[in-house]
Amino acid sequence: MYALIDCNNFFVSCERLFEPGLEGVPVGVLSNNDGCVIARSEELKALGITMGMPVHQIPSGQRRRIVLRSSNYALYGDLSSRVQQVLAARVPALEPYSIDECFLDLRGIGGDLDVLGRSLVQAVEREVGLPVSLGIAPTRTLAKLANRRAKGMPGHSQFCLWPDAQAPELSRYLHQLPLKAVWGIGSRLALKLASLGIDNAAALRETPEALLRMRFSVVVARTARELRGTPCLEAHELATPRRSILCSRSFGRLINDRQQLSDALRHHCQRAGEKLRRDDMLASAIGVFLRTNPHHTGPQQSHSLWTMLPFPSADTLRLNHHAQRLLADLWRPGIAYQKLGVMLADLSPRHGSQASLFEGHEPARQEALMLAWDAIRQRYGRDSLTLGLRYDNATWPMNSRYRSPCYTTRWDELPQVST
Amino acid sequence: MNVSRFAYASPRSTSLLAPSPELRGASGFPSPADDYREFPLDLDRYLVPHPASTFFMRVSGHGLVQAGFHDKDLLIIDRALSPRAGDWVVATIDGSLSLQRLDSHAGRFWLQGEDSRLARVPLDGEHDHRIWGPVCHVIHAFRR
Repeated sequence: MYALIDCNNFFVSCERLFEPGLEGVPVGVLSNNDGCVIARSEELKALGITMGMPVHQIPSGQRRRIVLRSSNYALYGDLSSRVQQVLAARVPALEPYSIDECFLDLRGIGGDLDVLGRSLVQAVEREVGLPVSLGIAPTRTLAKLANRRAKGMPGHSQFCLWPDAQAPELSRYLHQLPLKAVWGIGSRLALKLASLGIDNAAALRETPEALLRMRFSVVVARTARELRGTPCLEAHELATPRRSILCSRSFGRLINDRQQLSDALRHHCQRAGEKLRRDDMLASAIGVFLRTNPHHTGPQQSHSLWTMLPFPSADTLRLNHHAQRLLADLWRPGIAYQKLGVMLADLSPRHGSQASLFEGHEPARQEALMLAWDAIRQRYGRDSLTLGLRYDNATWPMNSRYRSPCYTTRWDELPQVST
Repeated sequence: MNVSRFAYASPRSTSLLAPSPELRGASGFPSPADDYREFPLDLDRYLVPHPASTFFMRVSGHGLVQAGFHDKDLLIIDRALSPRAGDWVVATIDGSLSLQRLDSHAGRFWLQGEDSRLARVPLDGEHDHRIWGPVCHVIHAFRR
């Protein structure tokens, strides 16, 4: 069994935790440099403000009735790490998937999953103060759908358990579920499948595997198998394009050596940078996570740290520079680590962003360097050119006029309690 | 489930909850000195046994000096603890964070602010008053 847990309207919930007056108010969180809306409260959605809407397109009459905040990744990252810690203390293994979601590996857990699921939701709400949704199912793909189902449920119950992939209730749900909602099925792929008459999730899982393999790809075939209840996809294979990027790998053995971890991280940053540039995207926030082997006794640690990049970037050198600093903060002596990963968030297209004169951007020199970098690696092979040296550069201040205090990471910005 | 198996190192603290492997003798046998080894006192672990659920806040105002809370004192709030009658709690009242005493009276919980002559606020779910978390320590600096 696998679970997918995510925080409801995560960024907005973080803002509300220390500013309870925002409860019930339409709240939005803005992208890097306060360009457009990247997170919305339910109240803001109801006003018709869409995801990605540029701030200047919000009518001024509406603008006065809503609260907008700059993104505060120091706060979000800290709370995200707390959520992971609360969960990691209660399940055998946990795998961060993005800043507000993680997979829980529940294989081998005896006892009542219904009781466990409810206790996990309650523990996070009580101990960290953030509302979450939880889906539990036999595979990661189904767990993601169970999570989606949980969000749609009436009332406060944000939990959905599908212990059996063949249950009639689940089949009914898959029948009315558009393919685009299934992980790994993009809209273009959904159109192609629809032309074969496969237009919902139930139809996909009933399609013969050989046909999917031949006409589409191994991954589509495996997605169908996951929908039938057989686990065969790892978390990183499920990464959805354009929302976030995850590059991680377990080490073959346990590692504590700083240098080896640093080398692995550098490798992940290279891959993450390549993925970004291939999609022609820029990232505004970067996170690093480190995990111990949960099946071993000995000190355990599962943490992630996030930071904001000085400006949206797809520069491998810059990604690595910031990732290495996060690793330095995460690393502890005497702990044997099993897995390391880098995550990128707040992605935006490289072209078409409303860059102003005053906001920072990647110098043209760096962009040219990355173009040459990719060209050389493409032509002479991936090992022809790799990142080996540290990179240091002054950072430019970001434009974040409406940022909330870093309530949990700075002494001079702690929440004030009146007497 | 064996929860105690997961001993967490705080991201702020360099201390570990178990001796590190280097403390073993070179032969691989535990050194007899291990039995007597003590760890330095760690204030972080003393004040913050639950890092994931512990938050720091700052007292603002002079209204609770009598009760021992001075302006700019540091509050340590642990949301993992269950609030009990008699606790000082951070509560959300009218949309802001406020330091209150938790009272139990006539089978209900009440919030009592700085002035005991003022009306108590019932925690009945009807009003939008909630407990944010119980205060477990207050740190007062004599020099700033």
